[in-house]
Amino acid sequence: MTEINEQKVTGDFSMYFGPAHPGSGNFSIKCEMRGERVLKATADPGYLHRGFEKLMEYREPMQNAVLSDRVCVLEPLQWNLVHAEAVDYLMEYEVPERAKYIRVILAELSRIQSHFIWYAAMSLGTGFMTGFNIAIGYRDYILDVLNLITGGRVYPAGYICPGGVRKDLPEKAENKILELLPKIDYMRKFALKQNPAWLARFKEIGTLTKEEAIKFGAVGPILRGCGVESDVRRDDPYEIYDELEFDVPVMDDGDAYARFTVGMQEIEESMKIITQSIDRLPKGEVKTPNLKPRVQFQKAEGEIYIRNELSRGEGAFYMVATGQKTPYRVKIRGPSFTHMIPIIEHLLTDVAYADVPAIYWSMYQCPADVDR
Amino acid sequence: MSTMSDDSKNSLLEEKLIKNLNTKLGVSINFQKERRLWTSIDSDKIVDICTKAYEMGFEHLSTISVTDWLEEGKHELVYHLWSYSHKVLLTIKTKIDRKNPNISSINSIWGANAETCERECHELFGVKFEGNPNLTPLFLEDWEGPPPFLKDFNWREYVKEETYDQNNPREKVYFEVKK
Repeated sequence: MTEINEQKVTGDFSMYFGPAHPGSGNFSIKCEMRGERVLKATADPGYLHRGFEKLMEYREPMQNAVLSDRVCVLEPLQWNLVHAEAVDYLMEYEVPERAKYIRVILAELSRIQSHFIWYAAMSLGTGFMTGFNIAIGYRDYILDVLNLITGGRVYPAGYICPGGVRKDLPEKAENKILELLPKIDYMRKFALKQNPAWLARFKEIGTLTKEEAIKFGAVGPILRGCGVESDVRRDDPYEIYDELEFDVPVMDDGDAYARFTVGMQEIEESMKIITQSIDRLPKGEVKTPNLKPRVQFQKAEGEIYIRNELSRGEGAFYMVATGQKTPYRVKIRGPSFTHMIPIIEHLLTDVAYADVPAIYWSMYQCPADVDR
Repeated sequence: MSTMSDDSKNSLLEEKLIKNLNTKLGVSINFQKERRLWTSIDSDKIVDICTKAYEMGFEHLSTISVTDWLEEGKHELVYHLWSYSHKVLLTIKTKIDRKNPNISSINSIWGANAETCERECHELFGVKFEGNPNLTPLFLEDWEGPPPFLKDFNWREYVKEETYDQNNPREKVYFEVKK
């Protein structure tokens, strides 16, 4: 894992953080070290490159809906939603009101469970195993509900599909979701308040300024942790987000602690969105009538760039249709792409090696959506 | 592309922005739908137009995408810029020759962010960005084949030929699959 450089200064060597590191995920960073300091870091993605963009050019929209789950393991329902919206626009589908509400509820549940994984990963990466166990435990309550609704704990197999959602909510699903909220709230408070000594570990490390964040293309909690109030749900609303009331948490410090705290505060906003959506959930159809995407996609021509606010920030689909069975071109913009390549290389310049895991995890990375 | 609806307040703001962009960028801006504008430009103007757009508030380079128009013999580069102040997405499209895919890098504006997006386009489509010092492979390791996302590259055939042996009884099945 280490190589000694043929340089005059003794103590200069290269060290790899990942992909075999217990907390790095399928990602690697090559650190040029001098003693305990990281002088320069180079990101090495590609361990999860599956070529989704090309795969989708060979498949029909309903098959792509299933495939879109896999773009990011930690937030599959939200990737379902971005894909479905792109196809909806190209095929001019009018999505029923009830389906829009169900889509939003599921996207927010997915966001919360993904934030729990963030907490778990932060804990694991910095030696706070109890935090990991608790967060993963609470995430499981959400997965049970996702299992009930979509039929899959982690992967919903294209539950949010073009034209609506695959199936209506099962009986008493609303109650099950509402019963979840106190549990989520407990975990949220735990994440924000418990163990201040551990939380202090993240203060004043990996600081990113507002100007740098914008220039490097930071999005989501990373951008909001630098004092930029930007949320796609509010600035570029989709589905029913413009009818809902929620705040956008922002912190000005730009360090690892600010990013992480913004993320944990977002859980409360997601809970507000879920409560409002369940209160207003209308009755009716959950799919566009006469949904025949296989035939109808051959009439679609045009292109669209759909942006959504995923757990990690702006995720987008650029889709070009030319009247064939399959899309002519699909481009996926993963939120971690900018976070994990240019930004992490910038932040890991002249830092202590002991800070690398803390900075790395505060970027809320998902190697799957970097590589796609 | 749909025509402009003039009954909402937002579209009035957008109308004003379109006029402003038309004059300052010196290009014709089209309206696709609410918060989506697009324009098509010559490839040699890309740095100039992007710089002006950045100065007008389109600060966020969302991504750069390439569409390979095989029949036309062109690569279409698509730059998606979001403005935090106007809350509008501006899509800048430009076409370059497929046989000689060269274009100037926009790293003078977005630095490492643009360079990384360009690295991806270079690796997957073979587009060369002049002025980008770092066009090393990003995802593919030890890849010696053609850029894999080109329309005329059939990866199914490539994998079959490179990976499987027709004379091996256990791998014969891959060659029997209908195309």
